[in-house]
Amino acid sequence: MDTCIEKIRAIAADLLARGTVEKVIGFADGSIPMATRPIAVSSPKEVEKLVFNSVCGLNLANYVSKNSLSKKEGKIAVVAKGCDARNLVTHIVENQISRDQLVIIGVPCTGMVDKRKIAALFEDEITGFEETGDTLIITSSSKTETVNKADVLRHNCQVCTHRNPPVYDVMAADPVPEQTLEQPYADVDHIAAMDADARWAYFEELTQNCIRCYACRNACPLCYCPTCFVDESSPQWVGKGQDTTDVATFHFLRAFHCAGRCTDCGACVEACPMGINVRDFTRKLNKDALELFGWEAGLDLDKRPPLDVYSPNDPNDFIK
Amino acid sequence: MMGNLLEQMGVDRDRIHFSWISSAEATKFVDVVKEISDKVRALGPNKKFVKDYNK
Amino acid sequence: MRFITIDKKNWTQGIDQSRKTYQVFGPVRDENGCQIKPLAVDTHPEMDAAVTVMSPKSVLFPQTEKILTATLDESKEDHHIMKPVENGDIPRVVLGIRPYDARAVQLLKLNFDNPDYQDPYWCEAYDATTFVGLGVTHPGPCDFSTAVGSGPFNEEGLDVIMADMDDKYLAKILTEKGEKWAAACGFDLAADARESQALFDILRKEAEKQIQAEVATDQLAEKNILDLYEAPFWDDVAFSCINCGTCTFVCPTCWCFDIQDETRHNTAVRFRNWDTCMSPLFTHHASGHNPRGTRVQRVRQRFMHKLKYFLDKYDQGIMCVGCGRCVASCPVNIDIREVCNRMNDYETTK
Repeated sequence: MDTCIEKIRAIAADLLARGTVEKVIGFADGSIPMATRPIAVSSPKEVEKLVFNSVCGLNLANYVSKNSLSKKEGKIAVVAKGCDARNLVTHIVENQISRDQLVIIGVPCTGMVDKRKIAALFEDEITGFEETGDTLIITSSSKTETVNKADVLRHNCQVCTHRNPPVYDVMAADPVPEQTLEQPYADVDHIAAMDADARWAYFEELTQNCIRCYACRNACPLCYCPTCFVDESSPQWVGKGQDTTDVATFHFLRAFHCAGRCTDCGACVEACPMGINVRDFTRKLNKDALELFGWEAGLDLDKRPPLDVYSPNDPNDFIK
Repeated sequence: MMGNLLEQMGVDRDRIHFSWISSAEATKFVDVVKEISDKVRALGPNKKFVKDYNK
Repeated sequence: MRFITIDKKNWTQGIDQSRKTYQVFGPVRDENGCQIKPLAVDTHPEMDAAVTVMSPKSVLFPQTEKILTATLDESKEDHHIMKPVENGDIPRVVLGIRPYDARAVQLLKLNFDNPDYQDPYWCEAYDATTFVGLGVTHPGPCDFSTAVGSGPFNEEGLDVIMADMDDKYLAKILTEKGEKWAAACGFDLAADARESQALFDILRKEAEKQIQAEVATDQLAEKNILDLYEAPFWDDVAFSCINCGTCTFVCPTCWCFDIQDETRHNTAVRFRNWDTCMSPLFTHHASGHNPRGTRVQRVRQRFMHKLKYFLDKYDQGIMCVGCGRCVASCPVNIDIREVCNRMNDYETTK
């Protein structure tokens, strides 16, 4: 992929030099193979730290909701992939940040790689990761593998239909072609086809390794509540341990809080230390939002999400 | 959407019901509660989302 | 102590034989990585598995532990009397534990088993557990154990340490517990002590060479606590932190927990769950005040505890064994090695 990093750096340097923004939030190289880390740069000479590649899997919109920003914060620029930009739109619609406080550096994206899929190609630990165009060269102490990026894309990137930011102030590269998919929700349908007990067992197995670290929740730009429902103590709604009912309740209810808002950016799965595909919860809701309300989150600054606003056309045949 | 997600997780769709009832619609309230009670009771005890301390 | 060799052809048989005495734990791979799990009768540890995502501390200190139960049924004679849960003392063996994890258990012991207080659940589990370690011949990129008082072939905290010699294991039995385990497996083929020790020494040197960590901890002890606390770099360190509990939960030396009672119908249970200083609820007072209400305060707390407060209080080195799990699992790649160096090098500008 054209990582357009030179353009990103140039745009960032320009914005900072002119004083248009106080800081630029982007990605920097990590300290271990296949890692990047979110950073904020506040002077033109720091922009060399910015990178953009196929392991920038987190969503930087997570850093610009109300509880991340101080009241005195000035204008901020954010490096945003298609999904990230949609979350920035959602933030604006939900009053987390105002449109004029944000400068969106749009980056058309051809997808992020699934680090676990790559790690599974090796018996030992990965010691090196290099990317040129669409080819990845990955090394460990026992061997080197060359793979096509397309073969190790994250699932959410495989089914992505919004690779280009829908709203932006400046684009770091030319738009990339969007995909059209026959069956974007095949994974949701696959689960729906099972009988009820099998579905329950599926979700129980899915979350059996959950350690309630809340990395999924904290990496999600939508989860910005000052106090999350699982952190309430008077009264306490959910137990804190690994009891399967508590784990199921957390994931079910968190997903539901994202209903009609989720952009399937995959930051939740990327952040999860156990690699749990928590998107199995949110994707069902995304599918319903599309089919019941014709809605996809974060595409339009002037529209409110379906669970936020009443319309006489809302489906209501389930209400007595 | 909540009912649909619960159903996707394997909880019987008939265990959750929705109704708009004004405080002035007492008879409707009674009817709806009766209907829901009958429907849910017919499904038998629910084990999903219920804690079991003997596990 | 003595040395034995274990032919790999006899390994699984020996493990199965030991199941008469021990509940067996060991690393297994699943599609999401490697984990230490209790091994069912027909599963065996994957001794060549890479470092596990979660540490073996859960063998002694499970994430969710039922510690007491009671019946609330007033028709029963023992109603409302809380009783301990049975079977805390079933002998266990953890196979393939890495030396840094064994040192971590000794660090946990400072908290759970000390002159002032002995945690009954942890101590019972510790006494019942035998640690059979496997030296790490190829330390991964996140391993920095040699910089923090451990190493790929260190023996601290282990009952047996094994070296993988391709078709066999060379095992050094270090303690009484180790002897009992070897006997229970039927592993008894003696090996020459001098030759074996020499082999271990070579393997240790080879392994240690591969760790290229540049982590300095030598100046931490003499730094002034308040200087470090007020240092200006915490905002920068904490910028990307999303305050999940991943680092604390994968860490083999983190020991914080929360105790809660739950009731349903006529059953009352007291649970102990892992808790994390990364959670805002951790220091939330009943009054509503929260001394660590901001993210930066909590991030600072974590590193100060690990690298300074513990060091000052216990004088056993830092509260880190260099396993690198936090580095590998942190969603935003905050690297404790970098923070440690920053703290170690920090000079106030006074």
